[in-house]
Amino acid sequence: MRIANSEMGTANSELTREQILKGLEPLGTNGDSKLLTHLNSCVHCGLCAESCLFYLATKDPRLTPARKVDLVASIYKRYHTFSGKYLPGLVGARNLDTATADEMVDLLFGSCTGCGRCTMHCSIGVDISYLVSVGRKMLSNMDLVPSTLQSTVKAAIDTGNNMAIPTADFVDTVKWMEEEMADEVGNPEASIPIDQPGKRILYTLNPREPKFYPLSISAMAKIFYMAGESWTLSTRMYDVTNYAFFSGNREEAGLIANRLWKEMEHLQCESLVLGECGHGTRAFRWESPNYLDRGVPFPVMSSVECIANYIREGKIRLDPEKITEKVTIHDPCNLVRNGGVIGAQRFILEQFVPDFIEMIPSGADNHCCGGGGGMLSMSEYNERRIGAGAIKAEQIRKTGAKIVVTPCHNCVDQLIQLNAAYKLDVKIQTMAEIVAEALII
Amino acid sequence: MTWYEWITLCSLGIFLGTSLFYALRLIRLGKPVDKAPASGSVAPAVRYSMSGAMNPAKKESAYLHLPTYGAGILYHLGTFLSLLLFFFIWMQLPFSRMPVLILSGFLVLSSSCGIGILIKRGWKNELRALSNPDDYISNILVTLFQVGTFLALSIPELLPFYFLETSILFLYFPLSKLKHVIYFFAARYHLGFFFGRRGVWPPGNG
Repeated sequence: MRIANSEMGTANSELTREQILKGLEPLGTNGDSKLLTHLNSCVHCGLCAESCLFYLATKDPRLTPARKVDLVASIYKRYHTFSGKYLPGLVGARNLDTATADEMVDLLFGSCTGCGRCTMHCSIGVDISYLVSVGRKMLSNMDLVPSTLQSTVKAAIDTGNNMAIPTADFVDTVKWMEEEMADEVGNPEASIPIDQPGKRILYTLNPREPKFYPLSISAMAKIFYMAGESWTLSTRMYDVTNYAFFSGNREEAGLIANRLWKEMEHLQCESLVLGECGHGTRAFRWESPNYLDRGVPFPVMSSVECIANYIREGKIRLDPEKITEKVTIHDPCNLVRNGGVIGAQRFILEQFVPDFIEMIPSGADNHCCGGGGGMLSMSEYNERRIGAGAIKAEQIRKTGAKIVVTPCHNCVDQLIQLNAAYKLDVKIQTMAEIVAEALII
Repeated sequence: MTWYEWITLCSLGIFLGTSLFYALRLIRLGKPVDKAPASGSVAPAVRYSMSGAMNPAKKESAYLHLPTYGAGILYHLGTFLSLLLFFFIWMQLPFSRMPVLILSGFLVLSSSCGIGILIKRGWKNELRALSNPDDYISNILVTLFQVGTFLALSIPELLPFYFLETSILFLYFPLSKLKHVIYFFAARYHLGFFFGRRGVWPPGNG
């Protein structure tokens, strides 16, 4: 039998026995009450459909969250339950075969961002996004992660950042931003520290910043400068993202996370501040201790919480007359619904944005922008991603806001594309960018 | 005891035994392990998960589908009532006419809800595509159980039918999605655990 591992991540050739066995490993429920519970809880009521942006945007019955749960649960039933083993037709139990694997790739990678909104609204309480992540892990075990997503993971593992930016280029960009920042604060001595040991904070970035949005680096540097912070960037490990969290490969996710742990030890910084990246924050703050099976020996916070603290402590002051346009906020799912950072960003904007409006719904109930779950890296699903973004575009349009702030560079990318596709005529900014604009120097 | 009562007793044993097995297996597996430092507390979040988060105003699955949600609630209440009445009927506890009328009226309503949900499952594309035979059989058996209950309350001649139908339901339980009665509470607990540690639930923490 041939091994299925195509370019598209689909099992277009027959799965080997070894692949099937590896694929089934994550469904072993011995010792895992959460997995056992959620695999057995869905009653196929289908009432979750309207909580999913992919279904809302397409009305395609294949894309309901319940179908995604059923896909994973039906395989579990086939191999782990009496009725599934002996009466598979009765309970819809399915073999893990090529057709099933193909459908899993399309639904679990290509039609779900793992935002978890359906989980909150499920009539039973099935953790749907968790089961999707289990399904992704099965596919990862079978080497069926879409190659586009896997190449992003590979870049991070091979080069230290997911965009494979050479260190020299990174340093050049930071030095350029240092000059920008020094100009803005009117102090030629103002600097962006690199690889300096013993600082209070190690700050991480989304590689999109040095690659595409360097001004967001200088924005945060400006905030650190005004707060009188002792901080540094690292050239060895500055990447806050962890796409292996999306691909479902726990070992690779642990490997990436461990580099950041080691860099904290290497530079002997006191705290880690995670740059504006929803999934990166979640992967490190919430998942890495479980990947690595050890507790975090240093404080970890998101840059949003860090900025909020500076305001509370009076370390930075913001000009309430600087931002005159109507502002709304997009809540990144991994930072907010799945990370609990809900109030800090609102507290910050309250300080200096006179015309603020919430999206409906917002906070932990906010709709995903459609760019999460690794979707941005999987170009084969671009059309579907932009289509699903119609829900977010409509939310933004209804606010009448001219500025959309979001503390996540993945969301920024998706929102910029939605802005163009749906002609929203808004400005998309990170939290650091809008705060830096209003800083009283 | 009659022959059909013996059959029902055996099937009840299987029903209770498997329920106990599923529940004990979950309890034995214990709490989930999360090594990340918590931002919030689990206990209030689990309480919220079992209460406030179930508020129909908080769930799209409820407020966007009020007729279905309402029918589902009545249907489940009818099932639990039928289970309770099963023991009353079996023990031949006497009922006066008025309670029988009220209980029967409620069971007519709840079983109608079950039939409505069954029709919806077959009617709507999304639901039909999602459904397997168990989804229909589970509904039919539970609806028949409710119908059998109110008939048995008034027409003793139907007791053999009632006990046999109830036996089939009890025997079918471990094979079917009806097990969700056990897993539902565990699912709510796990949600509370997850969102509680992360400071998302109860709302207002983040």
